[in-house]
Amino acid sequence: MDADQIRAHLDPIRHEFADPRSLVMPALKFAQTEKGHLTREDMAAVAEATGYSPSFVESVASFYDRLYTRPVGNRVVSVCITLSCMLRGSDEVWEALCEHEGVDHHHGGTSADGRITIQEAQCLGYCDRGACIQVDAEETQGPFTPEEAVKLVEELREAPTPAELWR
Amino acid sequence: MAEYAPVDLTVENQVEFELDGRKVTAPAGTMLADACYAHGVEIPIFCYEPRLGPPIGACRMCLVEVEGMRGLQTACSTPVAPDMVVRTTTDAVKEAQDGVLEVLLANHPLDCPVCDKGGECPLQDRTFKFGPGQSRFVEPKRHHPKPLELSDRIALDRERCIACFRCVRFSQEVAQDGELTMQARGALSEITTFSGDAYAGRFSGNVIDLCPVGALTSIPYRFVSRPWDVQNTPSICGLCPVGCNTELTVREGRTKRVTGRPDPNSAVEEGWLCDTGRWAYDASWSDDRITGAIVREATGDRVAGLEDAVDAAAALLRGRTVGILAGTGATVEEAGIAADLAAGALPGAIVARMGIPGGALAGLRALPGAQLGDIDDADVVVVVGGDPAAQQPIVELRLRKARRFGATVTGCGPRPHLIESLGAFTRTVPGALADGVAAVAQAIAGATLPVVLWDEADLAAEPAAAAALADAIAANDAARQIELGADVNGSGLRALGLPTADLVLDAVREGRVDALLLVHAEPLDAPGRTAWAAALQDFAGPVVAIATHPTATTERADLVLPALTMWEQDGTLVSMNGRVQRLRPGARGPEGAAAGWELLVALAHRLGAPPPYRTAAAAFRAVTAGHAAFAGITSDTAGILGVPLAAPAQVDGASAPAPAQGEGLPLVATREVYGGTHARRSASLASTAAEAAARIAPATAEAQWVRDGDRIVLRSPAGDSGLLTVRVEEGWPEGAVFAPLGAPGAPTEGALPPDMAPVLVQVVRVEAG
Ligand code: SF4
Ligand code: SF4
Ligand code: FES
Ligand code: FES
Repeated sequence: MDADQIRAHLDPIRHEFADPRSLVMPALKFAQTEKGHLTREDMAAVAEATGYSPSFVESVASFYDRLYTRPVGNRVVSVCITLSCMLRGSDEVWEALCEHEGVDHHHGGTSADGRITIQEAQCLGYCDRGACIQVDAEETQGPFTPEEAVKLVEELREAPTPAELWR
Repeated sequence: MAEYAPVDLTVENQVEFELDGRKVTAPAGTMLADACYAHGVEIPIFCYEPRLGPPIGACRMCLVEVEGMRGLQTACSTPVAPDMVVRTTTDAVKEAQDGVLEVLLANHPLDCPVCDKGGECPLQDRTFKFGPGQSRFVEPKRHHPKPLELSDRIALDRERCIACFRCVRFSQEVAQDGELTMQARGALSEITTFSGDAYAGRFSGNVIDLCPVGALTSIPYRFVSRPWDVQNTPSICGLCPVGCNTELTVREGRTKRVTGRPDPNSAVEEGWLCDTGRWAYDASWSDDRITGAIVREATGDRVAGLEDAVDAAAALLRGRTVGILAGTGATVEEAGIAADLAAGALPGAIVARMGIPGGALAGLRALPGAQLGDIDDADVVVVVGGDPAAQQPIVELRLRKARRFGATVTGCGPRPHLIESLGAFTRTVPGALADGVAAVAQAIAGATLPVVLWDEADLAAEPAAAAALADAIAANDAARQIELGADVNGSGLRALGLPTADLVLDAVREGRVDALLLVHAEPLDAPGRTAWAAALQDFAGPVVAIATHPTATTERADLVLPALTMWEQDGTLVSMNGRVQRLRPGARGPEGAAAGWELLVALAHRLGAPPPYRTAAAAFRAVTAGHAAFAGITSDTAGILGVPLAAPAQVDGASAPAPAQGEGLPLVATREVYGGTHARRSASLASTAAEAAARIAPATAEAQWVRDGDRIVLRSPAGDSGLLTVRVEEGWPEGAVFAPLGAPGAPTEGALPPDMAPVLVQVVRVEAG
């Protein structure tokens, strides 16, 4: 994505942000819609469009779990592993998903077909509905048993991504 | 210690507060950490560093108890208040210090035995002094492949980082290179550049001095030494006319490292160094260093011992009328002793200095001067001509700081440069700097406390502009000026009253001298080298050169006496704005070499007129006696931090240059300290070496029939330049050629006259690119 596209996206929303630094977030989120993750060029374009240094932009991107500086699957499934969810069995949900997608049980990862990424999340604020899962930085759902979680992932595998729907 | 801000306990407006049961005072607004330090109480800190701007309270190391405030307070960000009751040694404070250190060390590898910082590490020291004796942390620590090369010169051991953000703040706020950031979060946080690119700053080395742990270390110094195996000597940098105060780390007779002073000189560099000043020291043992005397004989070169060589020099010069040239980097002692030779050992000798005549600058130099530190207080800072970021690097940080403090930065000049991004600048047509001065005069007039920085070379070349600027400064009583000098010790040579080199050049041409003695002078490598080459072509007399590295000049010499570099010798340099500062010998220097001043003293002995001094300090006293600029100044009064000259370093009578000579395009020359001569003599800086490029704007290049990559010669009435590579670049003003001074073989210097008077050049294409 280039700086002009990002500027065009930011212009209508600029006035909503008192501190221009805050514009880096929507800019990154928008830049990410193109490839599903952020490349060096995307971050350089965000830097150009917002006037901050590329390294600052990258530091922001690296801070947030839903901004990806490496390629991810078409759908990203974040499993809460914080205390409440853990007590309600999120470790089993995690294990089941990693097993099903054939990814590393410690760090998660992306399935071989490139459709699904499994990653850890810290408390998603859905403790009353643990074990919970967030898909693509959108709504959080729960509670899940391991079987239900696998079923959800299978549905996600078939369903078009939001970006695919928009186009 | 540098880490705490200096506190003046004598100024008006002191606030009284209680510190551990004592009644003490500090000026209103002082941070508790600094106030406590001033009263002998050390509050441990890590992230706090007053030079980096407002405190950020990132590390929580400095917690203290303040009566009436809930919880503990960070002493680095809590200003003193009247009747505040502060306790720094209570159980609660002790427990907090233990806790913070335990957390900081939780992921720290504790590899002190193999860490360069060991022995001079704030984390180590403060853990011993304030930390718990034991860690309860038994879990595995984080590991990283190590070290990571942040650049050719800086290594990063990520697991040692305690996330204090000092390096990031330096990069983002002080140098404003936007390079370093902290990425990721929590235990995974790490310092990095964009996508792991090499850290490309020109002040990058300062983060090594700033890092309170061994996370950022100098690659050239890696595993070289331990703090208890070295001597640290306060000295100064002699690579550009700023004269930053440095500390030399010396081991086994060699300078192993140059750092900023632990106690910065706030009037000059404030503890920062540019990367050239920090890493160029290995030039003192570069492959081409002259380590023994070279005697040129019909049968070839012979390397001689020092004794023999000085004898030979005396034999060559005895009974002759000698032209003596002091180079722009010669110390006050070297130049002064050389001048003394004319009065005794070498009667009738004509002594002169290299560098810019600058007769037109008398008016400017007589105006009230300022130190670089005074820029902090200015409301308006005006930069006239020059390119301080390239030519006097540390000035860039001063100007960025002024901007951060809210000062207006403005100026004018013929070159595009980095400082221009800090404010409104007027781009002047080369030769018409006076128009720019007219534009900035208003800013000077309307300011409460203006500081004007003016470029020696640019204003010397345009007397009308110099006169107009002097008037504009004189019109505001509060205005002060800082000369952005061209030469390392130009001020020192002028303060000694030495006349300009054209005196010797004319004498050579007219056969009035029949020998030459060059004291760090390189007439065949300096502006005017074409004229000098012509004059020396038929010069039959002997040429004796005192030098450290080979140049075209030493090639021409009949005898080369090997001298010491600025990291090895005692001496005095006067900075561009007239600050007298001492070089102190760190390293010993090669066996076969001696300090330039000692060589000259030995020479005087051999010539039968021994001077009455044996030390550099005594020589300084003797050679500066009778010069008003040095009145009352001795090596002792100059001390560790230096003192300003007693009167402006000014010589009369030097001619002001005529309007630009020749036909074609004006040549605008810039001395690039970063990537220039020093980068080519220093292995550590080799990767920064800049090409010898003539920069030309697109339309001008087209009009001159040259393209990017072409190799050209610039032809002026002063002579031909050496080969330069054309770089056609947007952003450079049309209608001029911009070229560097100090490139290998001194190409640009060939087209310039000895007095650096302005010239117009024709672009002659030699090879297509
Ligand atoms: S690398 Fe050093 S200076 Fe930078 S944040 Fe880490 S500890 Fe602080
Ligand atoms: S700015 Fe000049 S004096 Fe200071 S460190 Fe750099 S080269 Fe040396
Ligand atoms: S612990 Fe999982 S949502 Fe709070
Ligand atoms: S020194 Fe005060 S919080 Fe770091």
